[in-house]
Amino acid sequence: MTTQIPAPRYTGTSVKRSEDPRILTGAGRYVDDIKLPGMLHAAFVRSPLAHGRLLAVDTAAARELPGVVAVFTGAELDAMTVPGPDPLMAFVGLGAMMPAYGLLAADKVRFVGDPVALVIADSRARAEDGCELVEVDYADLPPVASAAAALDPGSTPVFDDLGGNVIVAPRRSELGDVAGAFAAADLVLDCHLDVHRHQNVPMEGRAIVVSPDPGTGILTVYAATQSVQITRAGIAQRLALDPAKVRVLAGDIGGSFGLKSGATREEQAVAAAAYSLGRPVKWTEDRSEHLTASGQAREESFDVRAAASKDGDLLGLDVSMVIDTGAYQVAGLIVPPTIQMMLPGPYKLPALGFESTAVTTNKASYISYRGPWASETFVRERVLDLLAKELGLDPLEFRLRNVAPRTSPPYTMLTGRPLIGVTTRESLERLAALVDLPAFRARQAAERARGRYLGVGVATFIEAAPGPRMPGGMPGPLATETTRLRLAEDGTLTLFTGQMPHGQGHQTTLAQIAADEFGVPFEQVRVVVGDSDVVPAALTGGSRAATMAGGVTLHGARQLKVKVLDFAARLMEASASDLEITDGSVMVRGDPDSAVPVAEVAAAAATAAAADADADLEVTATFDGGESGWSGGSHCAIVEVDVETGIVKVERYLAVEDCGELINPAIVEGQIRGGVAQGIGAVLLERSAYDQDGNFQSATFMDYLLPTACEIPRIEIEHLQTVLLDADVNFRGVGEGGLIVSPPTVVNAIEDALAPFGVRIYEQHLPPARVLELIAAGGASGPALA
Amino acid sequence: MADITLTVNGATRTGSAEVRKTLADFLRDDLDLTGTHVGCEHGVCGACTVILDGRPVRSCLMLAVQAAGHEVTTVEGLAPEGTLGPLQQALQDSHGFQCGFCTPGFLMQATALLDTHPEAGEQEVREALSGNICRCSGYQSIIDGVLLAAERANGSRAKG
Amino acid sequence: MKLPEFEYEAPATVAEAVGLLAEHQDEASVLAGGQSLVPLLALRLARPAVLVDINGLDELSGVSEADGRVTIGALTREYQAEESAAIARAVPLLAAALPLIGHEAIRSRGTIGGSLAHGDPAAELPAVAVALDAEFVVRSQSGERVIPAAEWFEGYLSTARRPDELLVEVRFPAAPAGTGAAFEEVARRHGDFAMVGLAASLTLADGAISDARLAFSGVADAPVRAAEAEELLVGQEPSAELFAEAARLATAGLDPPADLHGSSQYRKQVAATLVRRGLSAAAGNSHERH
Repeated sequence: MTTQIPAPRYTGTSVKRSEDPRILTGAGRYVDDIKLPGMLHAAFVRSPLAHGRLLAVDTAAARELPGVVAVFTGAELDAMTVPGPDPLMAFVGLGAMMPAYGLLAADKVRFVGDPVALVIADSRARAEDGCELVEVDYADLPPVASAAAALDPGSTPVFDDLGGNVIVAPRRSELGDVAGAFAAADLVLDCHLDVHRHQNVPMEGRAIVVSPDPGTGILTVYAATQSVQITRAGIAQRLALDPAKVRVLAGDIGGSFGLKSGATREEQAVAAAAYSLGRPVKWTEDRSEHLTASGQAREESFDVRAAASKDGDLLGLDVSMVIDTGAYQVAGLIVPPTIQMMLPGPYKLPALGFESTAVTTNKASYISYRGPWASETFVRERVLDLLAKELGLDPLEFRLRNVAPRTSPPYTMLTGRPLIGVTTRESLERLAALVDLPAFRARQAAERARGRYLGVGVATFIEAAPGPRMPGGMPGPLATETTRLRLAEDGTLTLFTGQMPHGQGHQTTLAQIAADEFGVPFEQVRVVVGDSDVVPAALTGGSRAATMAGGVTLHGARQLKVKVLDFAARLMEASASDLEITDGSVMVRGDPDSAVPVAEVAAAAATAAAADADADLEVTATFDGGESGWSGGSHCAIVEVDVETGIVKVERYLAVEDCGELINPAIVEGQIRGGVAQGIGAVLLERSAYDQDGNFQSATFMDYLLPTACEIPRIEIEHLQTVLLDADVNFRGVGEGGLIVSPPTVVNAIEDALAPFGVRIYEQHLPPARVLELIAAGGASGPALA
Repeated sequence: MADITLTVNGATRTGSAEVRKTLADFLRDDLDLTGTHVGCEHGVCGACTVILDGRPVRSCLMLAVQAAGHEVTTVEGLAPEGTLGPLQQALQDSHGFQCGFCTPGFLMQATALLDTHPEAGEQEVREALSGNICRCSGYQSIIDGVLLAAERANGSRAKG
Repeated sequence: MKLPEFEYEAPATVAEAVGLLAEHQDEASVLAGGQSLVPLLALRLARPAVLVDINGLDELSGVSEADGRVTIGALTREYQAEESAAIARAVPLLAAALPLIGHEAIRSRGTIGGSLAHGDPAAELPAVAVALDAEFVVRSQSGERVIPAAEWFEGYLSTARRPDELLVEVRFPAAPAGTGAAFEEVARRHGDFAMVGLAASLTLADGAISDARLAFSGVADAPVRAAEAEELLVGQEPSAELFAEAARLATAGLDPPADLHGSSQYRKQVAATLVRRGLSAAAGNSHERH
């Protein structure tokens, strides 16, 4: 049977979001909006020390404060709960790697902000009052406040039983002939690159309401999470509850970018407290806690050697990295292997040496932040610019020379994945045309003569979103995506997805696909999210939704249509192969008069379903990604640097991108712009700063600076014609790319602007004071060359 | 504790709250108007912006008692329930927002801007909104929505 | 970040207000615009036993001009000062600084008196007050004192106001004809506290500088008047070389604080740039004044 699919009506258009009416009228329902009868409020006592032994926690005075209902210490919570790893890591199968740790500090505090006690009271204000009355005795320990300190074998172990602060010892691997590549090179670049610590900072912090029902034994959790199932598993494991007795509900979520599992230490502690008290408890993280304790990312440093021929061929890379994972392990350990895998990018790279060391320090946990492995693009795209300059080649031409050709069979990255359908060459060429580099260079020269310093920078990336099929497949639950589709009695096509939107508009995009495939109007589709009782297990992340959720929705809608048409055929006394669903009605192809509204068919099926299994109009579909591929793109920034103040202004920013077929262009562009804004923020404004004693210095928005409308220019976006790989599903993820490639784009532009001063940049954070230092150091900042 | 009576979205509202409670928390907790969001509690992010006596203010930096006797407009007051006002509609049309947490603050700030500067151009809109932080959108779609609302309003002004 | 407990008083008259301050002394904080105080309360860095809310004291609001002086009531909102024709005309340096204060929503509530009584050395208004030799009028149960700006700012968040005194008005001299003013600052983002700021005012007569005012924000724990640089400028004709020399003189003795946003060396270097740019802008603005 040939499937005649009518031309898509919604897919590919910027359908207005169904989420917007409630969001625009203040009718969204975020966790802190939830009020339950008898609800109590939680606040945490947190360590002011980076490192210390916890000698005593005296909660007596706090307990006596009117309005305070309970106070829990770390020891008390340990007695009430079962130890376990971070639930997100457990979900992806990496739980065993982590040292287990308690919900609150019990014997030691290991970073400023480490929770020490939990106060439950009749209001958040009263709980904070109670926190001030908890008396804690600490004995200072020498802080391990940097990777360098952690690498020192004499440093005090952050975890006594680990013996030292190197938690993953370096083990070198080589792919290709690394020694040969460097021996044959005309140019060997040797440099050290630093990526600074910064963080997700969604506008809504962590928040949870946990409501026990002693009667039914059901624990209802209202969570801000990227996966209700992960939250459920984490809380159930920790409280030793049957997961069937834990129901996790998620409504609107105010952003996450990788932060929210709904089951971090504090959230699990609140769950334990609520369960113990038999009353609902709410915890809404305030901004100070959020910045200090919710987790940070990207603190990695790299010793890099790069080998090239004088004609401009990239011959090899040798990278040795150190990642500062903070104290309590969350996501740090998954990053280095992914960095290694992605280092070659879309280029021909015949040799790669790699080694990584992971250290633990007295800092907040290293967590996932939008493209956690992004430093590979920073390292590679920075090094390419540095090589180009030493060789006297144009950075864009140098890249074009080294981009892997799109061959059949495809060029395979040294690290294993084939570069199928990658349009890097096209994106770079299109970018060049849009920017008109010769005209810019003329303008740049004219402005330099007037004492103004403009620069242009380019960078390119690919992202496994989710990437081509891997031999052996993806880890466990990420290998497939499952969705359940049901034609409800009233004719609504209802889709149950484990994707948990937190700004991405899945309830719109998945409805677009379902509407097109099934044949009903967009308004007749309902996408159900955020209820662990009814949605399949999934993780929202890794830019997987477009392919995995989009794909399973497409195939699931088709499968349901087959089922519906089989039933309708009996109802309408026609042959199923003659029927189609168009505009919400089932009809005999070519005979509009035969049309029966889908709602009528659904109603009939509902009546018949008790007796007839085939009348139960529901399918559960699973999808493995099909012939999935890469997303990618090339970005360009034009900046102006005020060389007297160090202030950098991004004058123009362009992105030429390929994320496969677009489901909703406006949503795609929003994802790119948001990611780029975070990258500009990272370079110019954002730093999670610790001093040498481990004191956290960026605990308010006056010190952790987010970019505003005055710092982010119009971001021009062009979508490339993609290479179709799969017969049906060519949507690819776009959520992380903007942040992956924008930092090197901007840094490359700044270095270009400062070329007259001989500046070379080996770091990602360039606040005004640092820019002036680089200018002053000028030519003295060049790399070591051989 | 203090009894606080004020006008919110045109209606007289009364509540009883500790004197230390901010206007933002009072609106959310005591008046059940959870559209106003709390993003930082120190006056930087703008998520809590409401209009007080015609001016945009950060409701996290006012005590609820200070608003007694005053007129406050929150996001819930921008249009009759179940409908979108012209600014809201323009921001849906421009795909202005993503997660929605910053949205009410932006809507109130933009409302205040367009009330006093209906002819505002892009740079003026950018500066007027620079006290509101959005982490999702990169701002362009929000600015476009505000400009679209202004254009539509000016169009109807020109016609009418 | 919920506020700690305090007693709350909302006096209806200035007499009541100063009575409360006399009673509670340094256990009381005055709540005006709240844009500086409330964040300190939220962070529990300020713990007053009593909060005296003066927002009901309408008599402390308003701008008037007489006898070569512009008098601004302490409770005048920053946005009202921005809209004041008298300030625009007669105190151009203040008019230049006002739009740089935070964002519009901050200026809706923030007051002239509140900012000046708070005394944040990174804020714009203290530098303006010092540059113009403003006068601070405080009232207590014992009467009124007038304190010149040079004596008002004593240190970081610390002023000459005694705990039982209320700042009721600030007086600025009206700028003579031929005055141009500029407020230059370098901030990480639009609307942020500046890392370094400069209040600059020049009065030109027959092409030469007859009066020069320069004061920095963000370079010490109080605004810093660049008196030596001012002396250098008076009597000279504006030129880039003159301004560069003034910049050297103005910054030679500075030892600015270092913080997350900038080192001491950075602030000193930028301060010099701001002097050159500020003087140039002020000179350029002076032809507008009659």
